[in-house]
Amino acid sequence: MAKLERRDFLKLVGAGSVGVGAGFMLAQSIKHPLEHLIPYPIPPEEFSPGVATWYNSVCSMCPAGCGISVRTREGRPKIIQGNPSHPVSQGRLCGLGQSGVHVLYNPDRLTTPLLRTGDRGAGAFVPTTWDEGLAKIAERLRTLRENDRGNRICFLSEGVRGHLAMVFERFMEQLGSQRLWHFDFAHPRTLYEANQRLFGEQHLPYYDLKNARYLLSFGADFLGHWLSPVHHSLGLAHSRQGRPGVRGKFVQIEPRMSLSGAAADEWIAARPGTEGLLALGLAHRIVSAGHYRGPDRDGWADKLSRYPAERVARETGVDADTIARLADSFAQTQPSLAIGGGAAGNHTNGVDILIAVNVLNYLAGNLGGAGGLVFNPPPAVDSPRRHASYRTMLDLAAEARAGQIEVLIVNKTNPVFALPAAAEFKEALARIPLIVSLSSFMDETTALADLVLPSHTYLESWGDDFPEPGVGFPVGAISQPVVSPLYDTRATGDIILGLSQRVGLGTALPWANMEECLKQGWREIHQRGSQNGDAESFETFWTSVLQAGVWGQDAHRAAPAVNIEPRVIDGIDVEAPRFSAASEEYSFILHPYLSTGLHDGRGANLPWMQELPDPLTSVVYGSWVELNPVTAQQLGVSEGDVVDVQSAHGRISAPVYIYPAIRPDVVAMPIGQGHDEYGRYAQRRGVNPIQILAPEMEPSTGALAWSATRVKLVPTGRRVKLVKTDGASRQLGRNIVRTIKAVSS
Amino acid sequence: MGVSIVPALRALKPAALTVATGLAGVLVGFWANAAFFPGTSPRQPIEFSHKIHATDNAIPCLYCHTQARRSTVAGVPSVRKCVDCHNIVAKDRPQIRKVMSYWANQQPIPWIKVHDLPDFVYFPHKRHVQAGVACQTCHGKVETMHRVKRVAPLKMGWCLDCHKAHAVEHGLDCWTCHK
Amino acid sequence: MKRDDERGMHEKWREYRRPGYYEELDYAWTMTIDLDRCTGCEACVTACKAENNLPIVGEKAFAQGREIQWMRIERYWEGEYPNARLRFIPMLCQHCEAAPCETVCPVTATYHNQDGLNAQIYNRCIGTRSCAVYCPYEVRYFNYNNHHWDPPLDQQLNPDVTVREKGVMEKCTFCIQRIRQAKDLAKDDGRRRVRDGEVQPACVQACPAEALVFGDRKDPASRVSASMNDPRAYRVLDELNTRPSVIYLKKVTTDAG
Repeated sequence: MAKLERRDFLKLVGAGSVGVGAGFMLAQSIKHPLEHLIPYPIPPEEFSPGVATWYNSVCSMCPAGCGISVRTREGRPKIIQGNPSHPVSQGRLCGLGQSGVHVLYNPDRLTTPLLRTGDRGAGAFVPTTWDEGLAKIAERLRTLRENDRGNRICFLSEGVRGHLAMVFERFMEQLGSQRLWHFDFAHPRTLYEANQRLFGEQHLPYYDLKNARYLLSFGADFLGHWLSPVHHSLGLAHSRQGRPGVRGKFVQIEPRMSLSGAAADEWIAARPGTEGLLALGLAHRIVSAGHYRGPDRDGWADKLSRYPAERVARETGVDADTIARLADSFAQTQPSLAIGGGAAGNHTNGVDILIAVNVLNYLAGNLGGAGGLVFNPPPAVDSPRRHASYRTMLDLAAEARAGQIEVLIVNKTNPVFALPAAAEFKEALARIPLIVSLSSFMDETTALADLVLPSHTYLESWGDDFPEPGVGFPVGAISQPVVSPLYDTRATGDIILGLSQRVGLGTALPWANMEECLKQGWREIHQRGSQNGDAESFETFWTSVLQAGVWGQDAHRAAPAVNIEPRVIDGIDVEAPRFSAASEEYSFILHPYLSTGLHDGRGANLPWMQELPDPLTSVVYGSWVELNPVTAQQLGVSEGDVVDVQSAHGRISAPVYIYPAIRPDVVAMPIGQGHDEYGRYAQRRGVNPIQILAPEMEPSTGALAWSATRVKLVPTGRRVKLVKTDGASRQLGRNIVRTIKAVSS
Repeated sequence: MGVSIVPALRALKPAALTVATGLAGVLVGFWANAAFFPGTSPRQPIEFSHKIHATDNAIPCLYCHTQARRSTVAGVPSVRKCVDCHNIVAKDRPQIRKVMSYWANQQPIPWIKVHDLPDFVYFPHKRHVQAGVACQTCHGKVETMHRVKRVAPLKMGWCLDCHKAHAVEHGLDCWTCHK
Repeated sequence: MKRDDERGMHEKWREYRRPGYYEELDYAWTMTIDLDRCTGCEACVTACKAENNLPIVGEKAFAQGREIQWMRIERYWEGEYPNARLRFIPMLCQHCEAAPCETVCPVTATYHNQDGLNAQIYNRCIGTRSCAVYCPYEVRYFNYNNHHWDPPLDQQLNPDVTVREKGVMEKCTFCIQRIRQAKDLAKDDGRRRVRDGEVQPACVQACPAEALVFGDRKDPASRVSASMNDPRAYRVLDELNTRPSVIYLKKVTTDAG
């Protein structure tokens, strides 16, 4: 054998050592990774590791007020379900409600108080402490209050109810300001007005879908988002398949098929804004065909004689036979129920339309009984009527521009996103010297704030809720924290109470925190309801309400004898709807609708909601424009072609989606996308149709008529791939969804 | 005329030798790691002795691992549980001082898992303890160990052997342990 | 007779195909979906994501058709304006008694268990995707990517369900973790069987229209037994003889009136 050269020897040693090292590292790399067992320093009392704990609370994702049960593990919420004991949700919950965990765990949450450093709106903030933040605003508030200039303080909140609303009231009252407003884009302002005018009711009635046999819905997407979608879904399903031998029938009237329209037995696309006329046409038929026999029959016959079928058919586009058929069925299939809302209530004649719908309920005898319209008793804690209409917001903007507002506190509402550009609200905000936001997220309005005092999410806060509309009897629920606060944030109520103490508002707001405030409020509820309202029994009561997640009273209101005065009957009329701009140039009516997942835009920062295929189009992560196939053909566009949607007040562009169930003279767009701010999931995605809405209003309420904008469509020549989950849109003979004809009863 | 590949092989010989040495090295390294650093008995942040607690002082397993009968996890005692006794017992030992410093700072003790299953395995302590399986069946004679050492392989075949031997109801259904 | 673990795959499959085999099982978990109640609201879709750690895949993956939805709503249009109608149908793993996916998996990562469920074992799956090809309902989803949850979104993850990795197939399990838990609690109570209504998959629990009913069809008193005896009951793609455990109730249409 040849002698080993020194060079070769070194090679061998080198190869050997590298090999040993590599082998060692290989063995190390395939080892099970090191994991730790981390004990609690102090064992938690509420839960055991490995075992789920449930807490009952209240959903705050939309105004419906569903009761929820939150499953937590190791102190962390995992899933939100409906609370089976709560009469609104009955153990069920919609997708948006379930996404509440994504609000809590959202990576874009504000984690600490922030102070603006750069120019307003430039997005430069530095973290500050609660002490400093609160001191800064408290000082301004105190100065204004002491100089009797309290009214220069404005508080703009999302819609709140219960004791938190009461705290806001007292806070602003003590500061000496009347400028307290709740602002929700989709608040059904016209519906309240219609009920008030026809029935003299302050509160919305309970719509007993469950026991109805014939349901006529004028524009209300009651399964999608209108008032209380979960409860309505339960009701409709029961009316169809919950009663042996009876299947409720349901007709939807709207220009573009909504989720509710898709569920309807019959879908009728009346001309937008003529829903009220159609309702009065039905009313005319009910009276003239002798279905109504009330003592004021002659008055009605006289009044309604102006709505003969021929005229109504001509103006609404619904033929006279259909009108007669619907009217006869509605009057003869008892109990029946007519509801109106959504786009039908958002016309310039919205209140007229909704009154006309209620006239149908009156004539068919649907008031007060099962399966009809049940009047609610006042809630145990009544909420103030503070919802700002569009006109209120315009006034506010004008006052800001005139320098009459020095401090604006914004609580989780986002008017910069949810008001048309025509309102020039953002520009008006620039004139307010101090804007404080209590939002948990950097939304478009918060981005303009000088000081951000971030609130807890609802899953971390104490609160309570009394659903509106109620369910026919008094119901309340306490919202309890289901998790310890994740960040250096505070509950909205605690922020306001803390401010009160610093400003020295004294005895009107004596509580140290919201929990105390709630306890006192619920002590009163307890005392009203029981003879022995002593302390000990209150504690039992409180604990039981927390555990059950709901409190109710068996106190149904006796059905009131509704007598509509001749004067009111005489005043019933529907004006022709007014639309912005000339129909020659702007040939389509824009039908913006609340997105099922993103609601009015509040859900856009929730990844589950962004990834939830739109129920009707299956589109995810974007905006689109829905066109009737015929319209698309005339314009020469197909799916994915980007069109400019131009109103007299602005322009947005989005890809086309060919939608088979929309009037050819209407184009529809979902609301919710088009955020400039609001975190990584929402930003720079789609467009916001609210921005181009014309500032048309319903004159008596000042509500924004957001279905009254005319637009024109201009193809841009660009094309994008619409991201959606659906493949073939037809069954192609596969017989996947099967149907059966109902045996007519 | 035949072509011989022998010269070519001869030229490759030194290179082949180097590669072979390298590969042998890999084996040695692999073996050395497995033999001397098995990872079955990691050094814990506190030199807690199960022998002193469970044998010398006859404390039952469930006194500290309270969840074993009720939950999927056996539960590792809270720092307060340690302090409850050691406020009085063996206060001056250096290891106990360490525990006390964790307690003073309200910090958890970062124990290292000795019996760790992959994340796709769902092992409920509860069902096993309630079925009368002794802790020692899987954990070995922990009560005799100063530093805990894993004695069972905790591999699927080993689990299934036991499930088969005891004819566990649906004990071979994959979904019994994987979800 | 050979012990269960000694028999080969094919022997077992023959056994599964024997008529009456499923009647001898402990449970026969079944879901009925009433299309006359379903409104297409997709509450079930979200509930499934929350319960089963479905990934947030992002817009790009959606555009590539790589989304993961164990429960989805299919839409089918009928007719043209103004008589256009939209039909919804929730589609999820049908837990077929004669499941085509099971026979094709080379590693038996998908099989039928003793409760009549079509199981999918992630740590066994090698990602051939054959099962997805064979599934006529297209309810199997493949993980083309590793998924990421922006912290602290990961804290929402359900600790009772495995987080799947890139390269494995996944699908609806009828919320096996909930079924297992119900059985566990029944055992704690000293009961051999789970009572009707004690276990509800997340989608069933969430449905605001109570369109979904889940239970054991071997129990004649269960809600699901009553529901599947409805004359409207049918199985999707029945002609393929897959014998699904998901039973649909026909949508009711009416004459104008």
